[in-house]
Amino acid sequence: MTSRRVAIGVAILAIAAAPWLLGTPYWRGILVLGAMNVLLALSLNLVIGYTGQLNLGQSAFFGIGAYVSTILIKTYGWNFWLAGLAAVLAAGLLGLALAAFAVRLRGHYLAIASLGFAVITYQVLLNWEDVTEGVRGIYGILPPVPSTAGLFYVVAGIALAVYLLLDNLIRSPIGDTLRAIREDEVSAASLGINRAVWKAFAFGLGAAIAGLAGVFYPGFVGTLVPDAFGIIESFTMMAMVIVGGMGTMIGPVIGAIVLTFLPELLRGFGELRLMIYGLALMLVVLFMPGGMVQAWNALRRRMS
Amino acid sequence: MTASLRAQGLNKSFGGVRAVQNVSIAVPDNSIFALIGPNGAGKSTLLNLLSGIYQPDSGSLEFAGRDLIGLPAHQRVRLGIARTFQKIRLFKQLTLLENVRAGFHIHQDAPFWEYLFRGSAGRFHDEAHELLEFVGLGARAAERAGALPYGRQRMLEIARALATRPRLFMLDEPAAGLNAAEVDFLLKRLEQIWQRGVTVVVVEHNMDLVMNVAQRVFVMDHGEPLFEGTPREVQANAGVVEAYLGGEFAA
Amino acid sequence: MPDLLALVVQQSINGIYLGCLYVMVALGLTLIYGVLNQINFAHADFVTVGAFTAFFTATRFATKVLGLPDTGGYLLSLVAALGAGALLGLAVNAAVFAPLRRRGTDELRPLIATIGVSVLIENGQLALFGPIPYQFDSPLARETLRVGRIFVSAQSLLVMAVSVAAIAALYAFMRFTFIGKALRAVAQDRETAGLMGINPNLVIALTIVIASALAGMAGALLGPVVVLTPFTGATLIVKAFAIVIIGGFGNMEGTIMAGLLVGVIEAFTVQYLGSGLIDLVVFAMLLTMLVVRPTGLIAERKEENV
Repeated sequence: MTSRRVAIGVAILAIAAAPWLLGTPYWRGILVLGAMNVLLALSLNLVIGYTGQLNLGQSAFFGIGAYVSTILIKTYGWNFWLAGLAAVLAAGLLGLALAAFAVRLRGHYLAIASLGFAVITYQVLLNWEDVTEGVRGIYGILPPVPSTAGLFYVVAGIALAVYLLLDNLIRSPIGDTLRAIREDEVSAASLGINRAVWKAFAFGLGAAIAGLAGVFYPGFVGTLVPDAFGIIESFTMMAMVIVGGMGTMIGPVIGAIVLTFLPELLRGFGELRLMIYGLALMLVVLFMPGGMVQAWNALRRRMS
Repeated sequence: MTASLRAQGLNKSFGGVRAVQNVSIAVPDNSIFALIGPNGAGKSTLLNLLSGIYQPDSGSLEFAGRDLIGLPAHQRVRLGIARTFQKIRLFKQLTLLENVRAGFHIHQDAPFWEYLFRGSAGRFHDEAHELLEFVGLGARAAERAGALPYGRQRMLEIARALATRPRLFMLDEPAAGLNAAEVDFLLKRLEQIWQRGVTVVVVEHNMDLVMNVAQRVFVMDHGEPLFEGTPREVQANAGVVEAYLGGEFAA
Repeated sequence: MPDLLALVVQQSINGIYLGCLYVMVALGLTLIYGVLNQINFAHADFVTVGAFTAFFTATRFATKVLGLPDTGGYLLSLVAALGAGALLGLAVNAAVFAPLRRRGTDELRPLIATIGVSVLIENGQLALFGPIPYQFDSPLARETLRVGRIFVSAQSLLVMAVSVAAIAALYAFMRFTFIGKALRAVAQDRETAGLMGINPNLVIALTIVIASALAGMAGALLGPVVVLTPFTGATLIVKAFAIVIIGGFGNMEGTIMAGLLVGVIEAFTVQYLGSGLIDLVVFAMLLTMLVVRPTGLIAERKEENV
C-alpha cells in the first residue's frame, strides 16, 4: 500500500506546484481545463472501460451538470455548492435513464442509442429557451473561487478525490462485478450478477461525475451555451480515455492531460491543431489499442 | 430420496422448432445425474431452461420448493444453482484469481462504504486460491485466463462456478474437447464435488464419463424424454441404442 | 384544389424530396454494415465533405475558372462531390478498415477508429472553413414549377431524379450483376465467398467506395437544404442511424422506406414545430425503435446462441 501513498503524495505535490510552474493566467486556465477533462475521462472510463458499455452520450451529463447548477444559481439564487450537488444528482438520474437502454441493447445499438440520447439532451438545452436561454447563452457566471489558481486547486483536488474513490471501488468486489459484465454478460448472470442493477450503477455514477465536472465549467468560461455539449465533446472524451489507456485507472488521467496540453503546444498550427484528437484516436486504435499505458508497459518490459 | 429440482411438462419452441417437448424430470438430491441424447436432442436447451437463460413456454419448474418460472438466471444463483457453458465463457482479460473472485459475488456482503473508502478486495481471497488448487491451477493464479490452454479453461470455469457455493451444479458438456487425461481429472473432481453434498447434473456426449460417474441417466431424443434409469439399464435399453444408431453403445 | 389537400400534397412532395436525400445517405451506411458488419461513424462527415466540395466547385471553380453557367457548374459540382466521397471511402478503407480486418479484431475497434476519422474530418473542416454556416444556393432552387397550388422547385426534381436513378442503379447492380451478387455473398458469409473465388477485400473496398461516393453526392444535393457547417455531420449521422435502425441494418428496402418515412415526418412537423424540435422528434423515434424493436421494422430476429 505504501507505493500508493507515495503516488498520492507525488500527485498532491504536482497539483500544488502546477499553478506556479505555469504562472500565466492563460496556462492556469489550461490547468483548470485539464483537471475538468480528467474528471470527464474518469467518468467515461468507468462506463466504457470497466463495465464495457459503449456510451457515446457522456456530453449530455456534462451539459446537465453545467446547466442545472447555473440555472439554480442565477434564476433561483442558490448557493454554488448546493446547486452543484443538485446538478450532480440530476446528472446521475439522467444516467440511470440511459442505463435503462443499456440493459436492453448491446454494441452498435447502444452506441447509437447513447448518441441519440446526447442529441436529444442537446436539443432540449438549445430549444427550451425559457429556461436555458438557448443559443443566446447565459452570461456573467462567476466561479466559486475568484482566482484561477484557486479554481484549479478545487477542481484538481476533487479530481484526485474521485480518482482515489474510484480506484478503491475498482479494487473491491464491485470492480470484479463490473469487469465481469464487460467480459461476458451471460456468464456473469450465471454467477448471480444482476446486470441491470450494476449497469445502472456504472451509468449513474459515471453520469454524476461528468455532471460534477460540468458544475465547474460555466464559472470557468464565464458564459454558457449549449454548443459545448454536443456529440463532438463526447467523442473528444472518448479520445482521451482511449489514447490514455481504456480500462485502467491512470490511463484516462494521462489521456486527459496529454490531449488537453498537446493542442496548446501545437498552437503554431492554427485551428488544424484540433485534428490532433482524431489523429491520436485513430493512431492509437490502429497501432496501440491499450493506449499510452500499454506503450509504457511495453517500454518497461523492453528495458528489464 | 428427495428431489429438490423438479420439472413437469416443460415445453420450449424456437420459431416453430420444438426444442423441448413435455419433459418431466426429478433430479435426486446429492446424486450425479447425467443428461444424454444424440445431437439436437434438446439437452442444452433443457439445461438453459433449468438455469434460467430461457423461460419455458409451458410447464412447471421448481427447486427446493421455490417456483422457478419467471425467475431470472441471476436470481437462481442465490438459490444455489450454478452452471458451466458448452462454449467456454471465461473473463478472458482477467486473471485466473480474478475470474474465481468474481464468482463470490453473491457472498460479498460488506457495506458499500467499505468498498468506497477502504477498497478492500473482499474476504474470499484465500477461498479463491483454494478453488484454484482444487482444479489444479493454483500455481497459475496470476495468469490471464485467455492464455490458458483449452482443457485448463474448462477447469477454471468450474472453479469459478463453485465459488457461488452451489447446491445444484449443472455442467454443459464439460468433457468436450478434453483429452483422456483431462477427462479423468474432470471425473475425479466431479466425484469430489458430489462427495461434498452437491447435486451434479451433467449434459454429456462422452459415455466414459457418464457410465463411470453417473448414478442416474436421463435420455432425450428430439426434444422428448426417451428413457430414465441407472447407467446399466440405459446401456441395455433397446430404444436408447436405436436412438444412437448403435454408435457408442455397442454392447 | 382545397387548401388542406394542397398543403398535404405540398408537404408530401417536400417530404419525399428530403426523404430521397436521407435515403442516399442511409443506404451507404447500411451497405457498409451489410458487407462489413461495421458502422462507419464518419459516414455523415463524408456527406459534409461532399457538400463543401460541391460548394467550392460550383462557386469558385466551375463559374470563375471554367466559366460555366450556374446550372452547369452545379451539375459539375455533383460529379466532384461524388469523386470526393469515393476518394474518402478509399482512404478510410485503406487506412482503417482493411488493416484492422487483417488483424482480426473485435467490432469495437473499427467503430472507435471511425469516430477518430469523424473528429479528424470535422476539426479539419473547422480549420479550413471556419464555424460560420455556409450559404449554399443551388441555381436550380430558384426555378420553380407550379401545378395548381403546388410548387415544385427544379432542385427538388433534380434531387428526386438523381436519387431515384442512383437507388435504382444500385438495386439493379446488387441484384443482377456478378459483382453485386458477390457483394451480397460476402455480406452473408465472408469465408465461404472467399472459398468460391470471390476476393472479399476487393468487394469490400468496392462497397465502401460506392457507399461513400453516394454519400458525397448526397452532400452536394443536401447542401442547399441544410445548415452547412463543419459539424453538420454530427447531427446527420444520428439521423442516418435512426433510419438504418428503423429500416433494419443491412436491409436495403427497409432503409429506403425508413428514409422516406423520416423525410415525410420532418416535412410535416416543420410546419408546426420548427427545425430544432424536428431533430428531437426523429431521435425520440429512434430511441423508441431501439427499445421496442431494435432489429428494425422488417428484419428478422436472431436468437442469441448460448
